[in-house]
Amino acid sequence: MTNKTSKSSKGQKPAGATEMAFYAKHEKIYPRKVTGIFAFWRASGVFVLLGLYYAVPWLSWDGRQAVLLDLPARKFYIFGLTLWPQDFFYVTALMIIAALSLFFFTAVAGRLWCGYACPQTVWTEAFLWIERQIEGDRLKQMKRDQAPWTLNKLLVKGSKHAVWIVFALYTGFTFVGYFTPIKGLWEKLLVWDMGGWEAFWIFFYSFATWGNAGFMREQVCIYMCPYARFQSAMFDKDTLIISYDEKRGEPRGSRKKNTDPKEKGLGDCIDCTMCVQVCPTGIDIRNGLQYQCIACAACVDVCDQVMDKMGYPKGLVRYTTEHALQGGKTHILRPRLFVYAGLLLTVMGILVYSMATRIPLELDVIRDRIALYQENDQGLIENVYLLKVMNLDTHERKYELSVSGIPDLQLDTGGKSIVVQPGEVIELPVRLAADPTDLKKRSTEVEFHLQAVGSDKLKVNETARFLGPVSR
Amino acid sequence: MQTPKIQRVIAIMWPSFLMAGAATILFFTAFDPQALLMDTRFADLSRLGAYTIGFFLFWALTAASCLLTCYFQRPCAFRGEPEKQA
Repeated sequence: MTNKTSKSSKGQKPAGATEMAFYAKHEKIYPRKVTGIFAFWRASGVFVLLGLYYAVPWLSWDGRQAVLLDLPARKFYIFGLTLWPQDFFYVTALMIIAALSLFFFTAVAGRLWCGYACPQTVWTEAFLWIERQIEGDRLKQMKRDQAPWTLNKLLVKGSKHAVWIVFALYTGFTFVGYFTPIKGLWEKLLVWDMGGWEAFWIFFYSFATWGNAGFMREQVCIYMCPYARFQSAMFDKDTLIISYDEKRGEPRGSRKKNTDPKEKGLGDCIDCTMCVQVCPTGIDIRNGLQYQCIACAACVDVCDQVMDKMGYPKGLVRYTTEHALQGGKTHILRPRLFVYAGLLLTVMGILVYSMATRIPLELDVIRDRIALYQENDQGLIENVYLLKVMNLDTHERKYELSVSGIPDLQLDTGGKSIVVQPGEVIELPVRLAADPTDLKKRSTEVEFHLQAVGSDKLKVNETARFLGPVSR
Repeated sequence: MQTPKIQRVIAIMWPSFLMAGAATILFFTAFDPQALLMDTRFADLSRLGAYTIGFFLFWALTAASCLLTCYFQRPCAFRGEPEKQA
């Protein structure tokens, strides 16, 4: 970027140079198509990840959508699991695990995430592929962009955008399909009868996809991505990076094939600039490690091919570590990794343990706020409560309720049995009655015990206060 | 040194977007919009609608905060120094 800026500011008045940097106009990057082993892995990443993204919302589980973050109904279905707003802890733990995994993999293998798995990379790759199918490779695209507008150019550009937009709209539709049942959404889409909010988010996400993958591209990584800024904190001299072997490559220079570079005093770099042409973020890897580098390894693939053609050994640009480049040994096992791995395993352990011991039943007790207590016709003191029983299990449950805390405490549930459908909440008004002589204090703690019929583990206790007059 | 315009626009719109997303998730995990709006004239608003409006309100708020940060980040004249025209 800086190179280009200074180049384009040449011929300006000297004072204008800073202004040029100030208004640095974005120059479009036309990454050249690249083939090779890392390009294969990246394409595989695109297929697997986009495949998952588009397929998963259509999977079914127990007659419902397998993965549905049902925002309108305030519950998340993830295969056999149903999560409620009360289970927010699990989501938080998952986020922490994701962040720690990112740290761990960054420390080991550098920016693997950026080069192969980040949605920005994945969708940009897909958009670039569409662009190449319609507009042709790098040179054709550059030529067309510089040429004046003709009917042909309009047609080519128009069809590219048409395909992009359809692809983006389907992406937006799929996104909303994670939050509201996708089959119903599809049926409504076909007759154009979606709710306004669904339609809004489909368009919003489509627009973001089209803008980010079609136009913003590497600028997202450079200006918007927080990870790109702080990832270097996870780096050390044993982290896998993509690097140009300066000792071997310099002094760079063009030469005829079959000439001995040593005779001409040249290194192995033939200065073909292919590594710059394939770079999706428009950097020159030969300038050293830069934070704009997303470690996609396109330059590794293309340079290896050039080295092959020249009959030089591969790996002038390669995956390596700083230690290895300096001629030292790379230490894979090192304290930093153990710390990240330890943290990661701890949080994972906590998550698994709490998931395994999760009781899918919830009981809330709300005291009747109107009357503190009342005396019934038998001379007993009565308190009224509203119980909310929430069945977080996957099938219907019947529960038994009991109370403790005061001797001979009577429980009146109105004779109804407590049966709750999965995912339902029922409200149950109950009445507790106690003999005033048993009340030692104005407020006594009582405990409700809710026990599922046929399951010993499925039980919860909830405390409440029982109010009454103090007997002397 | 001045940053590129795109970077400044992003510095306002993007962190505020992220934080608005986080705030929306936290807020609506704790409070069900339907319970909040039950006795208001917005009672008919669907949950999805409430989430959406909530998100954009949060975004407006966080963006305003980012905007002020960016504004106050502009270099100011030192004491005794005449004000420079940008």
